[in-house]
Amino acid sequence: MTTRRKWAAVPGLAVIAIAATLLSAYSGAQAAQQAAAAPATQTESRDPAVIKAGMDTVAERGPWAYSAASSNVGNSPEQPINFPHPVHVQGAGMNCLYCHNTATKSPDPGLPAVETCMGCHQIVATQSPEIQKLAQYYSDSLPVPWNRIHRVPKYVQFPHQRHVNGGVACQTCHGQVQEMPRVFQYSSLNMGWCVNCHVENQVRYDCATCHY
Amino acid sequence: MSTTSGSSGVQRRSFLKVLGASGVAAGAIGCSSDRVDKLIPYLNSPDNTVPGVSNYYATTCRECSAACGLIAEVRDGRVIKLEGNPDHPLNQGALCSRGQAGLQGLYNPDRYRGPMLREGDALVPVTWERALQELNTRLSQAGALQNAVFINQHESGSFPALLDEWLASRGMPPHVSIDADVNMPSVEANREAYGVAWPALDFTAARLIVSVGADFLDDWGAVVPQQLSFADARAKLTEAPRFVYIGSRRSLTGLNADEWIACRPGTELMVMQALAGQMPVAQAAEAAGANAAQLEALVAELRGAGSSLVLAGTHGTNATEVARAAAALNQSLGNVGTTVLPGRALTSFEGLSGASALKAVSERMTSGSVPVVFVRGANPVFTTAPAAGFAQAFQSVPFKVSFSSYPDETTVLCDLVLPDHHALESWGTAQPLANSIGMQQPVMKPVFNTRSTADVLLQLGSTGAAAAAPAANGDSAYRQWLEQRFGGGVDAFVAAVTTGQAQGTTTSAAARPALTPASADPSTPIGDTDGEFFLHVYPSPLLGTGSGANKPWLQELADPVTKLAWQSWVEIHPTTAQRLGVENGDRLTITTGAGSVTAPAYIFLGVQPDTVAMPLGRGHTAYGRYAKDIGVNPLVALPVAADSATGAMAYSATKCRVEKEGSHDQLVTTEGSARQHGRGIAQALTVAELTALQNGTAEEPHGHDIPGVPSYSALPGLRSPIAADAQGELADSSAAQKGMYDPEHWSGMARRRWAMTIDLSRCTGCSACVTACYAENNIPTVGAPWQGRATSPVTWDERPGANIIKGREMTWIRIERYYEGGEDNGTDFETRFVPMLCQHCGNAPCEPVCPVYATYHAPDGLNVQVYNRCVGTRYCSNNCPYKVRYYNWFGYGEPNRRQYAFPEPLNWQLNPDVTVRGKGVMEKCTFCVQRIREAEHRASSEERDLNPDEFTVACAQACPSRAIVFGDAADATWSVAQMAVDQRAYHVFEDLSTFTAVVYLKKVNHPAPGAPVQA
Repeated sequence: MTTRRKWAAVPGLAVIAIAATLLSAYSGAQAAQQAAAAPATQTESRDPAVIKAGMDTVAERGPWAYSAASSNVGNSPEQPINFPHPVHVQGAGMNCLYCHNTATKSPDPGLPAVETCMGCHQIVATQSPEIQKLAQYYSDSLPVPWNRIHRVPKYVQFPHQRHVNGGVACQTCHGQVQEMPRVFQYSSLNMGWCVNCHVENQVRYDCATCHY
Repeated sequence: MSTTSGSSGVQRRSFLKVLGASGVAAGAIGCSSDRVDKLIPYLNSPDNTVPGVSNYYATTCRECSAACGLIAEVRDGRVIKLEGNPDHPLNQGALCSRGQAGLQGLYNPDRYRGPMLREGDALVPVTWERALQELNTRLSQAGALQNAVFINQHESGSFPALLDEWLASRGMPPHVSIDADVNMPSVEANREAYGVAWPALDFTAARLIVSVGADFLDDWGAVVPQQLSFADARAKLTEAPRFVYIGSRRSLTGLNADEWIACRPGTELMVMQALAGQMPVAQAAEAAGANAAQLEALVAELRGAGSSLVLAGTHGTNATEVARAAAALNQSLGNVGTTVLPGRALTSFEGLSGASALKAVSERMTSGSVPVVFVRGANPVFTTAPAAGFAQAFQSVPFKVSFSSYPDETTVLCDLVLPDHHALESWGTAQPLANSIGMQQPVMKPVFNTRSTADVLLQLGSTGAAAAAPAANGDSAYRQWLEQRFGGGVDAFVAAVTTGQAQGTTTSAAARPALTPASADPSTPIGDTDGEFFLHVYPSPLLGTGSGANKPWLQELADPVTKLAWQSWVEIHPTTAQRLGVENGDRLTITTGAGSVTAPAYIFLGVQPDTVAMPLGRGHTAYGRYAKDIGVNPLVALPVAADSATGAMAYSATKCRVEKEGSHDQLVTTEGSARQHGRGIAQALTVAELTALQNGTAEEPHGHDIPGVPSYSALPGLRSPIAADAQGELADSSAAQKGMYDPEHWSGMARRRWAMTIDLSRCTGCSACVTACYAENNIPTVGAPWQGRATSPVTWDERPGANIIKGREMTWIRIERYYEGGEDNGTDFETRFVPMLCQHCGNAPCEPVCPVYATYHAPDGLNVQVYNRCVGTRYCSNNCPYKVRYYNWFGYGEPNRRQYAFPEPLNWQLNPDVTVRGKGVMEKCTFCVQRIREAEHRASSEERDLNPDEFTVACAQACPSRAIVFGDAADATWSVAQMAVDQRAYHVFEDLSTFTAVVYLKKVNHPAPGAPVQA
């Protein structure tokens, strides 16, 4: 009796194993689906062609490139103020470093202070509803609660200054932000994606380069 | 197969259903990718601030009276680390554990959030306006303000002057300035003999140091400068002074001595007289229970030593007499001006009120004549013996005001609490040395709704009508007050603030009233009191007389002598313990005429057989979650006895009875064994052996020859094959593929070999490095009562230090303390301190056993632990011969867990450059890889290579002995590469062929002249 009971567990365990495999495959596929579908469902103002271009580029990054399935590629949350990068970069000809001015000197690229935005927008486009939102934050002495798009886990130390000063263009990782009406995550930011670039560029790539 | 199900209520099928459903749920949570974080920009960008890059501000430490210079590292508006100011004349960049833990005073979760007012039995929060109004009203109604009392924690600089000015303007007498940690008899004797409160001590100029109970490495005087000088003296090796300690207990200072002459408490004066030739040695030795031969030899040695240094810092009823005798001896031996330097006096000890001032205050309060009492910083209810009745006297005052920001024993009795800023939030000045001003500036915005007491006083003004809000622009009124009085004006003030110091003298208060002559308080001679044992109570080197107890770093840090944490203990000699049938941890009740305390026994070779010793600092009944109900306060059992000259409380002037209570506590110890068992962890040689080595008359000691390692004996400090390989020395042409360890590898990863040397002749075991490591590397403290494990679904192990009892402390670097000799339980034993941290083995036993490759050897010599790879098998820890890997058992870094080690706002201190580890992860010393990376980033941004000794690790930076040197051993221009090839160099457990990157330099012992040379 005891022997038979013990063996009765085997099919159960097998079922668990199979179920786990199927579940993980299913959720992975679903995540990929969601990631691909997300831009279309989340926004109407986004240009799907831009997204598509970004996805294709990731896929074309060579045999080392990791699948984007488990990352947030395409993640594009709605922002409290609809900030259009193209208007500022292509229209006004501003450099990335004008606003993200610590990217060359700090691990943190920096966000413009609300004051910096208001430096121009006290005069420029003051009638726009989005700018009026900005002005409201400023007059209320509140920072704009931007939604984070690009994020690496807390156990990853990513020094922006080392990359920017080393000649890596912002667009290499962040995509053509100057063409994105609403910013989305362009690269997978997976570890394989990082290591791939480190190897290509002949810089150290052992774990303690980033993990400590 | 049976069709009936078993007796179980849950059938297998339904179990699988549940499992499947929960699996889906877990999968859904685990794969969620829609978490949205916020990115909050500045509203207005502050000047000179780059997010993610630290700013460094110079300020002054206020954790003890000495007033060392600080550099506060501020990241994005929060202080994250305190280091010594390298340019400060007093501490020269070093900082003790207590100073570093000031940060946990700033971020203490139990600080008052704002002003508090008594309503009935409780203190309730009120607004500042309401609180100041209350103060004014009560002051105007109080009457007889000429009898008011203001007790201030002693500090040098301008604040005492401002305070007395304000007190005078309101018709109140000057304040009382006390510091329970300062040995007042020594101050009194110094004033009489040298005209200064505390002369500088130059240990390097001495050839013989004699300390009679003066614990200059524990808490006697300004510990950091004294330790710097002592370590420098010891680093002279063959020319170093010999150090003899005389006393009833070997403190940390005593353990650093080459020789201990034990004597009974209270007999130090006779020993001193024998040293001075005023009493026959035999007679003194007889009375003191000391070894006459040892004493005789010391007398002769002292006569012939040339330059010497005699120190006394006892706590008996004749403490001032002993200190006077020491001063007289220094004068007669010609030490004044060579080793005792009154000309470079530590002026921060000037201005202390006499030790009997508190007693006088207490008497006046009892008599009912005091209408109002103010307390700021000091905690006299805790630091005076309950038998003296200070608490009752204090409570009899109708209006009690505290400026403390902590709920300490004194403050909880008060009627009004006006919490002061922490020192790191306030302006101020200090006078650490004559003609040297220490500048104190706020290094961050206040954490809570506190106000600088100086500002409050200035706003109250003389009329009291103002009770104004702080200046509209947020400027401190006290800053303006300081600027106006600063020599050179505002510009000079600003310039001084940036460097943290200036030449000159601060506005200072009038001299404190002269010492009240000894009140008619005939001290009872010890021999007449009741009991078999002498009771020796001493201030803890970490907690002082109690102010450190609310800082978890200091509670967790093992006492340098006993290696105990989170509890009080009774030190008892092994022979006495054997006689009484006492084992380690047996609870002993110490009873005197005044009362009794019970604490576990700690069997200690360094205490006299007829003496039991207990540390001060614990046993708080208030003072926040980390201090309350941890340990016992031995002052409870201390009868009122005072030094006859100064009235200072006598800690070791009573006898006691010792009884076994019958129960047993486990000792909260971080120690495995106090003996080396022949393992050669802490190695030492005598001066004679070192001289022979230097003269080439002795063979250079080196380990075994390792086949295939050609450079092994040639490079004592750099024996690792990987290190050699990195230098191309082993360049074996047959090894086709060295991968990233190839020095010519395209990534350049293997160019450097990070290494460390630790000079055991310098190390005093003070443990400042341990606290520095906690601060730098986000190491959780694990001993608080709520951090224990679950013993059932509803009960928890709530003993303080429960995790440490189970060996779960997280000290990435620890100080191991080993005894040599003394197997006969005699006084002749030697102590060796070894800082033990990850040795970053070139051939690491931990690496090959990791099943997930979470630990590996970096090409630049680091043994790396990758937290995000680690799955917590703990194989690495089991295989580590040094036991320097620590397992995160309970997720101390995860805020939602019961065992969370950083309750808000303690988590503000966390270093953003270092991952906060979660549950189930192995962690260990990283050689401060974040500092290496930071330096590399900086060099890269400036398009240059790293400069030699450009940066160092946290433990080396803090070390007040300068024992630790860190750097690139593959580059001979770094100091560490030069230190590592020293003749004294050795590796711990080098027989294991671990090829460590940590090189120890052997301690050098100085046996008594004529003593048999030990092998």
